[in-house]
Amino acid sequence: MGQEAAVGVKDGGGNAGSSSVSRFVSVVAPLLLLASLAAVPLVGPGPNIVRLLFMTLTLVTASVGWNLIGGFAGQISFGFAVFYGLGAYTTALSINGGIPPAIAFLLGAVVAAVASLLIGLPTFRLKGPYFAIATIGVSEAVRVVMMNVPFTGGASGYRIIDKTRFVQSHHYYTALVLAALAVGISILVRRSKLGLALTAIREDQDAASDLGVNPFIAKLAVHALAAALAAAAGGVYARYSLFIDPDGVFAFRNGIAILLMPIIGGVGTIWGPVIGAFVYGLIHEEVVANFPQAHLLIFGSLLILIILFEPGGVMGLLQKFLRFVRARSSVGSHS
Amino acid sequence: MAPILKLENLTRYFAALAAVKDVSFEIEPGGLVGLIGPNGAGKTTLLSLVAGSLKPTSGKIEFEGRNLAGAKSFQAVRAGVARTHQIPKPFRTMTVRENVEVGLRFGRREKAAGATKKAEEFLDMVGIAALARRPAFLLSVGDLKRLELARALAARPTLLLCDEICSGLTETESGLILRLLCDIRRAGTTILYVEHNLRAIMSVCDPVIVMNYGQKLAEGPPTAVQNDPSVIEAYIGKKAMI
Repeated sequence: MGQEAAVGVKDGGGNAGSSSVSRFVSVVAPLLLLASLAAVPLVGPGPNIVRLLFMTLTLVTASVGWNLIGGFAGQISFGFAVFYGLGAYTTALSINGGIPPAIAFLLGAVVAAVASLLIGLPTFRLKGPYFAIATIGVSEAVRVVMMNVPFTGGASGYRIIDKTRFVQSHHYYTALVLAALAVGISILVRRSKLGLALTAIREDQDAASDLGVNPFIAKLAVHALAAALAAAAGGVYARYSLFIDPDGVFAFRNGIAILLMPIIGGVGTIWGPVIGAFVYGLIHEEVVANFPQAHLLIFGSLLILIILFEPGGVMGLLQKFLRFVRARSSVGSHS
Repeated sequence: MAPILKLENLTRYFAALAAVKDVSFEIEPGGLVGLIGPNGAGKTTLLSLVAGSLKPTSGKIEFEGRNLAGAKSFQAVRAGVARTHQIPKPFRTMTVRENVEVGLRFGRREKAAGATKKAEEFLDMVGIAALARRPAFLLSVGDLKRLELARALAARPTLLLCDEICSGLTETESGLILRLLCDIRRAGTTILYVEHNLRAIMSVCDPVIVMNYGQKLAEGPPTAVQNDPSVIEAYIGKKAMI
């Protein structure tokens, strides 16, 4: 991540005009976005658009979750498909067992949080690329195991028998509430003592430890929170789709997608993962439909281009724009 | 008076190389103790062992009556030992104030309320309060050294480990830092000060401990150490002495 992007708008003073722009970006724009999204089913744009936005909102939740550990703490994980899949399967099994959906989502989150601790205990002893490599291994191992678990249907997949009537808007609002909750949690973590520890760990883990931060516990805690959010997203998706299989929810490409979204939007920021999820969610299906053999190449190339030319992602560009506006208005007020 | 820090036969090997070997000494509370030695003498390794950044191969580190050998660095900080680094390690994208807040909130007396104001007091103490809102990556080497000191002090240590805090600074900047160390000592914090610059250490420290090839060579008042033939030999060689 670019240093300027990470520092954001904290540096420097700015005048009334630029601070009102900042306030709009940080407060008014998110509220407008939330209100607009809440109004979508009421406007009646058609089931396909609602489905596309539903999928995008589940991606927002997973992306914001990943950003807690990958963005705030700098621990790049390729293994979030594990938590997404565990959430999907736990929710599916729970609903089929007669448990209400809301509790089923919660159970999925708890199972994923416990799994994250089991994964984190050995892997957080690794640093830098070794942690990332370990998460690839864990992700593939869990997928292969799930292919061979008989009571969830193995590779054939698992069908959910949801006795409640299917109302698309209910699913949509569930995904919206969850996404808003994820962003709220992200803001709280960022402003908390844990958030301060995570930023310190990302910058220099040894220096953080030399000032009293316990990096292992901080990473385990935020990994569990991140895993719970990704699992809840997987659960919401499973209940909507009514059928899940290991090659779908545990696929390595899901882990890549969850990582790609915050990078597109701006890793380590609050709104970057949201923006990234919307960009990815809204173009993903079109890209897959039009370039079925090359869509992974396209997203991989996009990842490389962003890292090379704009590590701050869309948020980095936005902050550069805000600085430009501030500089222009400052020149104007002095002339 | 019971020593605040007591090292007994402290040893650290890196493969077959003994970076620190059988080092024993005690530090009285309220002291400003200098630790000197030529390059590769094992000074920074010894500091890292006390700070918990490295684990000793053998030996004891007794701090305020507690055995700290093998404790992790965050545990050492919470016990009351904080360090600065020879090469500053700022949290680059954080502001200067946030850097200090990490020490404040994770050190010994963690309180969220008033952390910002308190952080600015520590910055004021080291003379960089005006830079509080600036990102750390914009700071000069001298200011980064002061930030290292402010962060470590914010953790409220009873034992402060300073690793070559004057290296890379001008004479004037060094003088200010040395005066600051004396003030910190007067305020009740014990200091173990590792330095390459003999003049700096001789002017403020008493006693002075000398290391060479990982072992303690001498210990005593600055003038006695300065005239110790083994110390002179370690620094300038036998031939030069003759």
